[in-house]
Amino acid sequence: MLPKLPREKLLDLYKTMLVMRRFEEALIRVTKSGISVGHFHVYIGQECTGAPALSLLGSRDTVFTTHRNHGHLLARGADPGKLMAEIFGKATGYNKGKGGTLHTTAGELGFLTTSAIVGGVIPLATGAAFAAKERKTRGASMCLFGDGALEEGVVHESFNLAALWSLPVVYLCENNSFGAPGQKAGEYSSSTIAARSLLSLATPYGIPAVSVDGTDAGAVHQAVQKALARARKGQGPVFIEAKTFRWPGSRPVWPELLTGETDLKRAWDLKAIPKQYADWHRKKDGVLRFTRELLKSRRATPEEILEMDREAQARNEQAVRFALDSPEPKPEAALEDVFA
Amino acid sequence: MDEAERKEFLSLLQLMWTIRAFEEKVSELYAKGQVVGLLHLGIGQEGVAVGTCRALRADDYVFGGHRSHAHAIAKGADPARLLAEIAGRAAGYCRGKGGSMHLVAMDVGCVTATGVVGGTIPLALGAALVCRETGKGQIATVFFGDGAGQVGPFHESLNIASLWKLPVIFVCENNGYAEFTPLSAHTLVSRLADHAGTYNMPNVTVDGNDILAVRGAIQEAAERARSGGGPTFVECLTYRLRGHYEGDPGKYRELSEVSEWKDKDPVARFVGVLKEKGVSAGEFAAAEQQARERVDEAVRFALAAPWPSAEEVRQQVFAGD
Amino acid sequence: MAEQTYLEAIRSGLREEMVRDRSIYVLGEDVALGGPFGVTKGLAEEFGASRVLNTPISEGTVVGLAVGASLLGLRPVVEVMFIDFITLAMDQLVNHAAKLHYMSGGQLRVPMTLRVQEGAMGSCGAHHSQSLEAWFLHVPGLKVVVPSNPADAKGLLKSALRDENPVVYVEHRGLYFSRGKVPEGDYVVPIGRAALVRAGKDVTVAAFGKMVGVAEQAARQLEGEGTSVEVLDARTMCPLDLETIVASVRKTRRLVVAHEAVETGGAGAEIAAQVQQEAFHILDSPVGRVGAVFAPVPASPVLEKEFVPSKEQIMKAVRQAVKWVRPAT
Repeated sequence: MLPKLPREKLLDLYKTMLVMRRFEEALIRVTKSGISVGHFHVYIGQECTGAPALSLLGSRDTVFTTHRNHGHLLARGADPGKLMAEIFGKATGYNKGKGGTLHTTAGELGFLTTSAIVGGVIPLATGAAFAAKERKTRGASMCLFGDGALEEGVVHESFNLAALWSLPVVYLCENNSFGAPGQKAGEYSSSTIAARSLLSLATPYGIPAVSVDGTDAGAVHQAVQKALARARKGQGPVFIEAKTFRWPGSRPVWPELLTGETDLKRAWDLKAIPKQYADWHRKKDGVLRFTRELLKSRRATPEEILEMDREAQARNEQAVRFALDSPEPKPEAALEDVFA
Repeated sequence: MDEAERKEFLSLLQLMWTIRAFEEKVSELYAKGQVVGLLHLGIGQEGVAVGTCRALRADDYVFGGHRSHAHAIAKGADPARLLAEIAGRAAGYCRGKGGSMHLVAMDVGCVTATGVVGGTIPLALGAALVCRETGKGQIATVFFGDGAGQVGPFHESLNIASLWKLPVIFVCENNGYAEFTPLSAHTLVSRLADHAGTYNMPNVTVDGNDILAVRGAIQEAAERARSGGGPTFVECLTYRLRGHYEGDPGKYRELSEVSEWKDKDPVARFVGVLKEKGVSAGEFAAAEQQARERVDEAVRFALAAPWPSAEEVRQQVFAGD
Repeated sequence: MAEQTYLEAIRSGLREEMVRDRSIYVLGEDVALGGPFGVTKGLAEEFGASRVLNTPISEGTVVGLAVGASLLGLRPVVEVMFIDFITLAMDQLVNHAAKLHYMSGGQLRVPMTLRVQEGAMGSCGAHHSQSLEAWFLHVPGLKVVVPSNPADAKGLLKSALRDENPVVYVEHRGLYFSRGKVPEGDYVVPIGRAALVRAGKDVTVAAFGKMVGVAEQAARQLEGEGTSVEVLDARTMCPLDLETIVASVRKTRRLVVAHEAVETGGAGAEIAAQVQQEAFHILDSPVGRVGAVFAPVPASPVLEKEFVPSKEQIMKAVRQAVKWVRPAT
């Protein structure tokens, strides 16, 4: 379902999703053309979680995220050019090239840090919530992580303190193991947790826990809105599991455009759906789902959709150009900022 | 009560008395300066140690924490060598290098204890893996307190033990306090065994001062582990009647609370059970007497034992040197 | 002698030892599928899932589990995907693995190997690039080996797996696909011995890991300038082969140490200290140190290049050593 929002806002959300999708497609394309930016992880397929969830944050809120963070930053309004430049290691990037894809910090957007240590941001986000509570900012701390993070014990240490001290933190777990190669315990690239439901990791602490379909933007929007309201009122943490499908191209080491670049016509023209990965295009791709929902509710026409897409693509092409044209950092910058 | 049971019960009682007498002596020696260090006594928790270890086989493995004198004695360690270790003597189990918090008595399967809260929980998983691979039906048991329930590796271990169906028993001695702080100030989780439930692990909470209840729960858990049924979490509700460490005045606890628990003293309670079953006063007295004599002998041995030589400090940094 | 890559040499060493010794078990994230770099590829198929265990992302507990299993007769090998993640297992490594033999008065042994991988390359950023092995020098009870070539990768791994102590075996990601001759059969390189890589007479460069190759290149280039450099592969960081290093310094009277880890507090500092204690009177110049910049590892390729010690830095340190003149007092 669509989030309960006026048409204008819905279209804004959609534009954000398109920027998120096209950004990473452009990034993959550029890296295939021989420009090396090092290893990176993509968010493709999880846009219907990140876009609505982060659209609900305000200026007092903070965000912590993981190695799979490009989508989150863009969802919060990050400049695609500065983000691309950071991924390329350029001086014009968000962190002057020192963070890279895994560690982008954008303080002005509330992104305090992105950590590549699995589960590493969970205590940090809990600490930010503690600060928000003590300083009475009425802000909330949004903590984004994957299902694998739940295997780290520090998650429990954090849940325990957040519940005990009633901290304003929303733990949003993007469980993208559905459809991952080998989703049974003990197999590749998926969480190995003996619990039957991820929710049961939070419930012993008395933390309200809810599971939503992560490709259902409306469901995510509703759950996060409720959680944020609770946190801001000082009623403590919430745990949300958003179940998403692993994009087939999200290979463990180097992402590949296995499903091609997204063709939005597939949302309304079944003939445009190729045989290979048909299931992805038909059911699992959240962006196509959202597109269909917009069409069905008559909030947008195919022409409007294609126009918004062209804008998103143009913005990202510009971002790539900006990043490519940006200067490298000066070597001596490696010595700067070691201490504040 | 048949004769075999009567003998077993009296032996359980005597073991509890041995631990009680041992810990009282340690306390006394510490007050006199004859034993030094950081000492955490298990007075009041004897029911958990004895009820657990006597439900295990001699070749099973046990892991402890900082409050583990009782576990070692219950598993069959020699009180004399144990006290010598606590007193830092060369005749101690670890040649005086381990001390009170790091007891190792491999002859009776006490693999290790630790000064790091929750630290031996992952080690016990490793032992359980070995038990499963060697196929002799052995199991591993790990003792830890309620404070360990808030450390990350505790949760990681529950997950892995359950995933891999390891033959391990998690024995949580919930004595209500992590150092000076009541459990309720450290977590909203009132029943620590619920954490095991998260990972679909069979779990039970028992009265830890009822030695027979503990023994029953461990017997069931051990049977499950030996037959390939995987881990069990046994939470034992108990209380330490001394401070967190010797010298801790324990001002954070109400006197009324302490005296309430004194009434639930596991040793006295078990004496009551035996009385009901018709065991005579003379027999209890004899059990206590024998235990105290054994401990007195241990004290004589330990205090007369030589100190390690100074060169010992450089020895055994690496194995095989 | 067959030619193998460093990665293949690690794998064949591990494989041969697993055939030889039933008590060797491999644990780690995705190891049954080869892991992200493919080092353990094929082992699960050959030795079964019970000896090649995929673990959850619970480094602290997995290392602790391996310690526990090693106490009772197994010889576990834990793969920690990046040395950066060893921080999550420091408690078990430092408080248990390193100390249990000693604390137990010799009752216990911890024959386990920790395979860790490191290297600042490919813009992986500060959580996937560090070289942290010097930390372990400060912990009595741990051994540390740093192979620099395929033959040593195999030989040192075999030694690590046969050692009765916990060994941190440090692999460099940048060496995985380097090739070299590897003796066939049971090739074992003893822990605690440095290797002479290139003989020289003016300056000794003692290097670790990837820096050994860089030092060789520097030496070749310096030869053209008329400076003869002896290159030692220090190879095992703990125990350190001070004897070989001092013997070389007796000949050259000058020493430069090089490693990819941050220079401050690195293994080079320990070597410099030990050498001056042992052989102060024969040194003709202060011991030179080459290591990474004292900064977290930056992501940008330009900054990363600046961070990692270079051939030029080694050459500069060697030249400084050669031309150093004792100031008049």
